[in-house]
Amino acid sequence: MQPWAVMPSPQDTRIDSTRLANDWDKDKSMEEKSPLIHMQGIAKRFGGILAVNHVDLDIYPGEVHGLVGENGAGKSTLMRVLSGFYPDYEGQILIHDQLVHIESPRQAMGLGIALVHQELSLVPELTVAENIFLGREHPSPIPGLIGKKAAEDQARQILAEVEAGISPKAKVRYLSIAKQQLVEIAKGVSMQSKVLILDEPTSSLTAPEIKDLFMIIRTLRERGTAIVYISHKLSEVFEIADQITVLRDGVKVETRPVENWDETSLVKAMVGRELASFFSNTHAYDPKEVALEARHLTRLPYIRDVSLKVYKGEVLGIYGLVGAGRTELAEALVGLVPSDAGEILMDGHPVKIRSPLDAIAQEIALVPEDRRVLGLVNCLDVKGNLSLPVLYRLSRLGFVKRREEVELAQKSVQSLEIRVSALKSLVTSLSGGNQQKVVLGKWLNANPRVLILDDPTRGIDVGAKAEIRAIIDRLAGEGRAIILISSELPEIIGMSDRILVMRMGQIVGEFPRHQCTDEALGACAAGITMNHNSHPLGAGQLSAMGSRAGADA
Amino acid sequence: MATQVMERRVNRNEIFIALREYGIYFALALLVLGFSIASPRFHTANNFVLVLLQVSVTGIISIGMLFVVLSAGIDLSVGSTLAVAGMISGVYAQKDPTPINIIIALAIPLVIGLVCGIFNGALVAWAKVPALIVTLGTLYAYRGFVVWYRVNPIYDLQPWYRIIGQNSIGPIPIPVVVFFLVTLLASIILNYTRFGRYIYAVGGNEAAARAAGINVSMVKLGVYTISGLLCGLAGLVFTSRLGAAQAISGQGYELIAIASVVVGGASLFGGRGTVSKTIVGALIIQVLQSGLVMLNVPSPIQQIIIGMIIIAAVGLDNVLRKNP
Repeated sequence: MQPWAVMPSPQDTRIDSTRLANDWDKDKSMEEKSPLIHMQGIAKRFGGILAVNHVDLDIYPGEVHGLVGENGAGKSTLMRVLSGFYPDYEGQILIHDQLVHIESPRQAMGLGIALVHQELSLVPELTVAENIFLGREHPSPIPGLIGKKAAEDQARQILAEVEAGISPKAKVRYLSIAKQQLVEIAKGVSMQSKVLILDEPTSSLTAPEIKDLFMIIRTLRERGTAIVYISHKLSEVFEIADQITVLRDGVKVETRPVENWDETSLVKAMVGRELASFFSNTHAYDPKEVALEARHLTRLPYIRDVSLKVYKGEVLGIYGLVGAGRTELAEALVGLVPSDAGEILMDGHPVKIRSPLDAIAQEIALVPEDRRVLGLVNCLDVKGNLSLPVLYRLSRLGFVKRREEVELAQKSVQSLEIRVSALKSLVTSLSGGNQQKVVLGKWLNANPRVLILDDPTRGIDVGAKAEIRAIIDRLAGEGRAIILISSELPEIIGMSDRILVMRMGQIVGEFPRHQCTDEALGACAAGITMNHNSHPLGAGQLSAMGSRAGADA
Repeated sequence: MATQVMERRVNRNEIFIALREYGIYFALALLVLGFSIASPRFHTANNFVLVLLQVSVTGIISIGMLFVVLSAGIDLSVGSTLAVAGMISGVYAQKDPTPINIIIALAIPLVIGLVCGIFNGALVAWAKVPALIVTLGTLYAYRGFVVWYRVNPIYDLQPWYRIIGQNSIGPIPIPVVVFFLVTLLASIILNYTRFGRYIYAVGGNEAAARAAGINVSMVKLGVYTISGLLCGLAGLVFTSRLGAAQAISGQGYELIAIASVVVGGASLFGGRGTVSKTIVGALIIQVLQSGLVMLNVPSPIQQIIIGMIIIAAVGLDNVLRKNP
């Protein structure tokens, strides 16, 4: 039995709070206020995966509804259903008690639902006014032409309403991200939207810009607009939201008014899931020899002054939310995007890693985050992919030694149990899990002393996850140093010997194995200091760790 | 019932796969058969040799183009490179046949092709200018250079020089032999060498290739250099066969080469294509041209037909690819 599997469960408290929420829901329904939008049993599948699992959600006018959850919890998917991007959803949507099936973004806009995208969707070469009225251009007195003046006048008025301070004639490409976001919001306002959905609106904003944004949100709320605020930054949600709904793994955990949440209960609701039993950590852990050390690695704005050590035979977990700089750190360590400052030491000797070639020479390998982007070459077969990083070893006078290549590929297929019909099969014909094994095998063929795995089990089925985790465990047992990056808390906790937490490009916490809870990690990654001592190790440990990690660096 | 449906589906899939893999060979065979029936002059041994002779110059260029296209690039400067190489080769082929002049006349087109290719490749690989722009620019620049250098054609080439283009080894014309050797060499490079594998990797997924420690810039330089070199070789063969060096040689060859490559099933996005199918692609276009001429189809109509067939071939290929 693994000790962290029996940690105090948040289960008991949740039962209470659920009841609380239900009571509150009843109170609410007794008031005359009826929901603007009533979503019932909404489900959305991607292939076999249920991204949103029968969620009920009510959105009221004049309220800011915070929607929180971990990466992949289904927040964005749910709201994209509401905005018409996924017409093949299950369940019912009622707007003003009218049943509608939302088929397209255009229809959603017509119904008064506007989504401000996580990635902005403005046309950079057009002006602010042209963007606001894109697709709904004002007619000019001359038929067939566009009424530029009318559009600009109306845009100016709307921009004044949201206090944006932007000229309608400005080209969007010259605006800051914050201003572009305001243009998006103005666009929503111009459609007389009743519901404005903001998806991670502050991910690229500075603190004063966030303040301005919140002012505008409050103004809109007072005018009766319903606002859905998607974020994983809990402090912001607490500041702006009236209601908070937590989603986890596509399921709604619960909705409560903001007063009935505190940070501890919210974090618990976000991450509190059963730790599955399929994590392998059986290798002996005896950290003596440092395999790789990074000192003060910096690449602005993604990573700042990151120092870390990973020992031979150790699985070092790195946890953080998306955008925390985990992937950028990995890319710097293997020279894909070299760091601006700092140094890397292998076995105590400084080494220069300016390109992936240098990393291969130093026997550092990265299994990348998205196997389709940096991992696989689709037009090559399984054999060609497996041998790619080591082809120089497998060739004489430029000619590939085919027999040795086949032998190498066969060995990989056997040791990783990659299920392929033939070594000549195209990698695209493989399942996700087997594709991931090919990427893993490809880098194992480079025989790395340090193996960095960036979200190695993302998007593959449960069985393959367990297999890959077992392989990772085995590799650590062979004395390789493993850096495991993951956004899945149970995976990080279950697999790692030691865990570093990243936030905003820095390492903000270090947790030894057996001494961390998922609440503590989650809170640390989201930048919250836990004020309760429900888990004695959690809060105390966290702040101590946080400051110590800073001093260490 | 159910099993029958299954069987039929399996059969259908097999037909699809066969069509996708070998359809282009069928198409060539059908064309040859069709023209043979339509025109008695077509299916003579002489005419087959003539078609091969006609395809050899554009075929050599198409092989170079295949290398570039496989790396997800494009080379529009091939025709201009051919003209520069052929012209300067012709200047030395005109002179007294001293050993030095002979060596220069044979070597200089290759050197020029190499230099033109390296220039293209360096701009694409290191200056990161899009390949379309770089080679569009050099299409103009190289052509401009050759017209400025020698606007009048050179006709009085030495007899020894004409041997390459006009003589035969047994029944096979030398240009066809050269084309065959280029084909063989290209197949070996693409299938059996590390460089060949790297070309597919860079064209298929440049980011992954870089992450795998491949020097992407060198691979890109390599493919443009090969393309340039083959244009130089084609310039030599072309000038010798024609018995004249002209500044206007090779105009429009870039389009024939691209057409051959894509009719041969290569993807302009890189990573997909083979030497054998590129040759078949080149042959299809040449057979069409020769056959239509023999049937006395007017030249503008020929162009319409060839254009439509290029679109149809690539369109069909895409359809077959989507239906697994």
